[in-house]
Amino acid sequence: MPMSTPSNLCKPAYQQAEIIAHEQIAEATWRIRVDCPYLATTTRPGQFAMVRLTSRNDPLLARPLAIYDVFPQHQAPEHWQPTPLGSDTASGNPHFVDFVYAVAGKFTTTLTTLRPGDSVSLWGPLGNGFGTPPTNHLVLIAGGIGQTALLMLGREFLATVPSSQVTFCWGARHAGLFGHAEDFQSCGMNTHFATLDGSKGHHGTVIDLLNDMEKNHVFKRAAIACCGPEGMMAAVANWTAERSLNCQVSLETPMACGIGICFSCVAPVLDEKGDWDYRRTCVEGPIFDSRAIQWDAMT
Amino acid sequence: MTASASPVCPDLTVQLGRLSIPNPIMVASGTFGYANEMQEFVPLHRLGGIVPKTITVAPRVGNRPWRTIETAAGLLNSIGLDNDGIEQFVLDKLPFLRSCGAPVVVSIAGGTVAEFVLLAEQLDKESGIAALELNISCPNVSHGVDFATDPELCRQVVEGVRHATQLPVIAKLTPNVTDITSIAQAAADGGADAVTLINTCQGMAVDWRKQRTLLGNGIGGLSGPAIKPIALRCVHQVHVRVGIPIIGVGGIMTTDDCMEFFVAGASAVQIGTASFAEPIITTRILDELPAAVNSLGASELQQIVGTLVIGDSAKTSNK
Repeated sequence: MPMSTPSNLCKPAYQQAEIIAHEQIAEATWRIRVDCPYLATTTRPGQFAMVRLTSRNDPLLARPLAIYDVFPQHQAPEHWQPTPLGSDTASGNPHFVDFVYAVAGKFTTTLTTLRPGDSVSLWGPLGNGFGTPPTNHLVLIAGGIGQTALLMLGREFLATVPSSQVTFCWGARHAGLFGHAEDFQSCGMNTHFATLDGSKGHHGTVIDLLNDMEKNHVFKRAAIACCGPEGMMAAVANWTAERSLNCQVSLETPMACGIGICFSCVAPVLDEKGDWDYRRTCVEGPIFDSRAIQWDAMT
Repeated sequence: MTASASPVCPDLTVQLGRLSIPNPIMVASGTFGYANEMQEFVPLHRLGGIVPKTITVAPRVGNRPWRTIETAAGLLNSIGLDNDGIEQFVLDKLPFLRSCGAPVVVSIAGGTVAEFVLLAEQLDKESGIAALELNISCPNVSHGVDFATDPELCRQVVEGVRHATQLPVIAKLTPNVTDITSIAQAAADGGADAVTLINTCQGMAVDWRKQRTLLGNGIGGLSGPAIKPIALRCVHQVHVRVGIPIIGVGGIMTTDDCMEFFVAGASAVQIGTASFAEPIITTRILDELPAAVNSLGASELQQIVGTLVIGDSAKTSNK
C-alpha cells in the first residue's frame, strides 16, 4: 500500500519558551504548556522538539519530546481541553504547545519542578512526521506514554479526510497511567483501553485487545499508526504485517542532539535490497514504515 | 597586562603553524555533523573552522546502540566512526562544506599509516580544504587509539601524512596516556602544524540492576563539562613543555570556558558536546568573545595565549 511522505515540513528554530501551565495528569505523567508561536504554527503530526533545562550542566542535554498538541492563544492557559475540530493550525493562530511526558530519570524529575513563568530552551519542529494514511479508517495504537505522538495525527485525520473514522487503542500496565484520555474521546475517536492488570478496559496487552476487536472485522482496509515501548511496537509491526495492513511506527531512540549531528539515535533500517544500515531516527525518522525496521537488530 | 578595557574590537585571527583562521572558535569533529545539519542554527561563515565528522577509507556502519549515555555533567559516546567513506564524503559532503565560507579542516582516521597517507593523498587533490586533522585518538574503534598512545607511532603517522600533502596537518591527541607531552612532542617532531587537545576520556556507564553496560559497545569516550579540567591540564602541560600551537577542546560551554583555554595555552578552541546541548552556542560565544578579550586589556587574542600564572594568588587577585 503506498504511503505519501510529508513534504511540507518547516525548518527548525531555537527558542526560549515560557511555561504557561504544568501539572501532573496521571501516575508519573505530567503535562506542560509553553508559549512558542513558531513551534505552534509549524509543527506537523508526529514531529518532536528537543527541550532543555536552560544553562544547566547536569542534566546537560535536551530530551526529545513528542509534540502532543498546539493551542490558540485566546484559550485560557489553565484550560487543558484540546483545540475544537475546525479550529486548525491555519485558522486558529495557535501560540501554545503542549508536551506530555513520563517522569523517568534525572531530566524529567527536574523538569517537574519548573513552574509557570519559568522558561525552557527548545528547538523544533524536528523529524519527518507521519505520512498521510492511505485509507479513511486510521487506527492509533499507543503503549504506555506513546499516545503523545498520536493525538495531532488522529485529530487532523478526522478534520481533513472525508467520511473518516479513527479508532484509538491504548495499552498500559494499569489504569492509573492513562492521563487525559478525554483528549482523544472528545474529538470523536472510538477509544479502547487494555491493561495488564485488568484495571481498565481489556485485560491483557494491546495485541490481545487487537485480536479481540478483530472478531468484529474492524481492521479491514485500516491503516495503523503506532507508538510505544520497543517490544510492543515490534509486536504490532508483526501483527499488522501478518494482515498486510499499512503501519507507521514512531521510534524513540536515545538522542543527544535531535538534529542529526551526533549519530547516536540510529535504528536498523532496511533498504530496497533487504540489507539494513543504521539510520538516524531524529532526521530520517522518528516515523518509519514498520516493515522498514529490522526489529531483531534493535537494542 | 593592564586591566583597562579597550573599545577597539580585538584582532581575533589565529596562526596555527601554516594554517591561518579568522577567529579561534572552531567546532569539533563528530559534534557538528557535516555542517549542513547546522545551517538553521549557526551562521556557518562566522566560524573560525569547521571540522566535520571523521572519515575513513571504507564506509563504516558504526557501533551498535546505545551509542550515547548522559552521565553527570557529561556525555559518554561510542559511535564507532559511522561514516560513508572518503569517496562519498568527497561527492556528497565536501561541496556543501566548501560553500560555508569557513575554513574546513577535514578529520581523517586510518587503521594503518598507509591508510592515513591514502586519505591525505586523495584529499590533497580536492579544493576548499584548509587543513587535515588526524584523528589518531578515537577510543571507539579497535586499535584506533594506538597512534596517539605511542610516541614513535604518532611521529610516523604525522610524518607520513606531511609527506603526502601540502595541507597543514593537525594531530588530535588522547588524554588517555600517562604523559601527553611526549606524544605532543612526537607530533611536533613528525611535522605537525598544531595539536588538538583533547579527544574524549575513556569511560563506562553501568546499569547494576541489569548487570550490564549501558553503551552497546561497553566502553566509550566521555565529553562535556565533566572533562574540562583534564583538557585544561593537558593544554597547559603541552604549551609549557612542547610549544607547538594548540587547539583546546573539552567541555567548553561558555565564553568564560574559552578564555580559560586561551590563558592556559590554546591558540584556538573547538566547541563539541555543547553544540548538542545548545545548537546556537557558537554564535553566542562569537558575539561575547571580543568583550572578554578586551577585558584583559588585549588588542590581539594571541597576547593572552599562555599567560597563565601557576598558583600565584596575589598576582591573579590584582587583575
